[in-house]
Amino acid sequence: MSKKIFIDFKRCIACKACEVACEMEHGEARIRVFEFPDLTSVAFNCRHCEKAPCVEVCPTNALSKDDDGAVVLDPLKCIGCLMCGLACPFGIPKIDEYNKIMDKCDLCAHRRAEGKLPACVSACPTEALKYGDINDVLWAREGKIVAEFKDIGDRTNVLEAYLIR
Amino acid sequence: MAEKLVPVVCPWCSVGCRFYIVNVNGYPKKIEFDYENDIRNHGKLCPKGVAAFQYLRHPDRLKRPLKRVGERGEGKFVEISWDEAIKEIAQKLSEIKEKYGPEALAFLGSERCSIEENYVLQKLARALGTNNLDYVCRMCQSTAVAGKGMLLGHPGLTNPFEDIFKAKVIVLWGYNPAATNPVFFGQYIEKAILDNNATLIVVDPRKTKTAKYADIHLQPYPGTDLAVALAMLNVIITEELYDKDFVAERAEGLEELSKTVEKYTPEWAEKVSGVPAELIRKAAITFATAGTAALLTNEGVNQHANGTRTVMALTEMMVLCGYFGKEGVMSGAIPGAHNGMGAGLMGVEPDALPGKFPLHAEEHRRRIEEVWGFKIPEKPGITYVEMVDALLKGKLKALYVMGTNPAKSLPNLKKVEEAFKNIEFLVVQDIFLTETARYADMVLPAAAWFEKDATAVSFERRVQRSFKAADAPGEAKPDWEIIVMLAKELGLGEYFNYSDVDDILREINRTIPFLTGATPERLKKNLKGCMTPCPDESTETPRLFVQGFLTPNGKAQLIPVEYEEPGEVPDEEYPFWLTNYRFVGQFHTGTMSHRSKSLSKRWPEEYVEINENDAKRLGIKDGNLVKVETRRAALVLKAKVTPHIREGVVAVPWHWDFNYLTTDVLDEYAKMPELKTAACRISKVEG
Repeated sequence: MSKKIFIDFKRCIACKACEVACEMEHGEARIRVFEFPDLTSVAFNCRHCEKAPCVEVCPTNALSKDDDGAVVLDPLKCIGCLMCGLACPFGIPKIDEYNKIMDKCDLCAHRRAEGKLPACVSACPTEALKYGDINDVLWAREGKIVAEFKDIGDRTNVLEAYLIR
Repeated sequence: MAEKLVPVVCPWCSVGCRFYIVNVNGYPKKIEFDYENDIRNHGKLCPKGVAAFQYLRHPDRLKRPLKRVGERGEGKFVEISWDEAIKEIAQKLSEIKEKYGPEALAFLGSERCSIEENYVLQKLARALGTNNLDYVCRMCQSTAVAGKGMLLGHPGLTNPFEDIFKAKVIVLWGYNPAATNPVFFGQYIEKAILDNNATLIVVDPRKTKTAKYADIHLQPYPGTDLAVALAMLNVIITEELYDKDFVAERAEGLEELSKTVEKYTPEWAEKVSGVPAELIRKAAITFATAGTAALLTNEGVNQHANGTRTVMALTEMMVLCGYFGKEGVMSGAIPGAHNGMGAGLMGVEPDALPGKFPLHAEEHRRRIEEVWGFKIPEKPGITYVEMVDALLKGKLKALYVMGTNPAKSLPNLKKVEEAFKNIEFLVVQDIFLTETARYADMVLPAAAWFEKDATAVSFERRVQRSFKAADAPGEAKPDWEIIVMLAKELGLGEYFNYSDVDDILREINRTIPFLTGATPERLKKNLKGCMTPCPDESTETPRLFVQGFLTPNGKAQLIPVEYEEPGEVPDEEYPFWLTNYRFVGQFHTGTMSHRSKSLSKRWPEEYVEINENDAKRLGIKDGNLVKVETRRAALVLKAKVTPHIREGVVAVPWHWDFNYLTTDVLDEYAKMPELKTAACRISKVEG
């Protein structure tokens, strides 16, 4: 089962703790908080796509998926050709100017190996960032409503109740 | 490589977050989140917390004692040895005391140092015969302390954080926790709003990240929120929304208060503050009928010349609605720094003894004199801002500054700079060469927060122990060690017989009855700490005012409050209200945060926020350079044109040079200067 970082933008306060935590861990922030004029903000990192274009185009097989489903980079294989950056619909892989190879979010592989959460998720003071399987995250967020659906069984009533709320 | 995890308390704001520093052979490698212990931040940290160790190894760190060689303010120094430095300081202090009397000496403590360090500092001042003692609480919390102290007998946050979940209404008044206390906001307030359907009322002239969540957002002109508070009192009283049983049983003075607020109708408040009367009425009714409510305030209320009055009016709202002493309510002001409350409890104040007992309280003075073994001077000292005037008049000759930066945090900085040029002897002990240190005769290198064992009191009244997680650079020493060295050199060694911080904490346990239970052993064993009052080792007090208030008769005093304008209001010449705010990633005067790479990269500079309609009228576009001018000084800043600030108000973050603009008008009760607002004019800088 693949795990990813999900964002509950309703909770994000643009404090950028995730960016700073990532920078502390990797030297450069691989997650970025975008702020919009209406005070909405969204933290955005690699989506670790199920069918990842970056993995598909990589000519040296430097990019691959690990056991948790994260797209990780093998720095020894990377030749810095920038193909992954071009193929990525979100423009996530960036060139590391110093080493001339690519740099991207690996969901903190070294932290996961120790049983810890990715640094950005660990830090996020509002828990706007959640790490997990999509079904678990959805259940945690919307579970109350789903449970009400199951309990009552009457679709219209629950929908009404939900709309009133 | 020997790696170890050292548990520490966060050195920035006063929520009291805990985490670990990963220490490799004395060197701080990184931080690690603490999920193991039942701690207040649940392992979470804000950007400042995550970057907390970055400033530790900054090349600017002071490593050896310095002696001034150039002009004052120039910042030219030569390195000298500790022996010479201490000897010279002791000699000079004795000389000045001999020549002008002890009143010519003054000491500044620090909310960023531990309770032990503040304790020894005030003890030294008193041993030298002066009460000229203060710390930056004067410019941050003093109005809240004075206002709530008068009404309730205790200024602290009343309830534990968890109680905020049960609050039906949360009022954040002049407080933007999404930027100032993100962890407290995210873990408690936001959860109450999003997961528990609490209603949020925000009072702030700016639409902040906090106000984004508000159901009702009142936007008064800075410093006129006293009018809003009085109008809310008016509504609560005239519409009889208050808790009659509670008021009859536990408060006195309702009749007089009712008479006073009669004239302060919402319509009147609308004219003064610019907040629609209907909105004020709605807020008052929502607040009073909620059942449980949390009312949290901060600098937006405190830092005004009418701050104490506003605090009193807001506290009266809480009393009238019977919200004290219950579950699911909360009332308090949030200190800026991690030990803001602790330093105050240690008596670093001109008119209070350790434990915040008033100086004139004979029984407490006698009791503490007995513990200390010397006589405490009886004459109250002068407060922080008053020290500037005393320096200019030549009444004050020497100032000893521990871990604080008055040359940037005081209002009307030009005057402050004059005062520091006029000083006879200035000692600064800090971790960096601050703006203040540039004026010093002697600069002493101190160990930073992570470089010593230390105890702090968070705004929840929680006493917590932080452990030594790194070695101090060069010859830097913990502040308490420096003060003890100095005391010994001054011939006061018999009163300062401490070999480590635990010795000092044990003396604090003996001196302050409500901290008797916060022993070093208890705090080391229990990282979560304990909430004061803790009169013995097995007790703590999560909720205040359950039985009664801490006033002499146990009843809340509803002292009538009349409206008063803030220290300076706009006129034809200076038509804009100027206010300030904070960035989530910068801290106070920036001594530490400006030197943190990740923080200064993201929050690099100040700018002036201006409403889009005002900007259009003045022909200012986003990014233009504009001149912000007050009667004291002018700053040239980039403009940020936004709809999120009300018309007629402009705002500048205060971490840089804001205080050149502010006025030093004082609050009559607390001597708080008018830091939050000034009248200003704005013009586009051509070219």
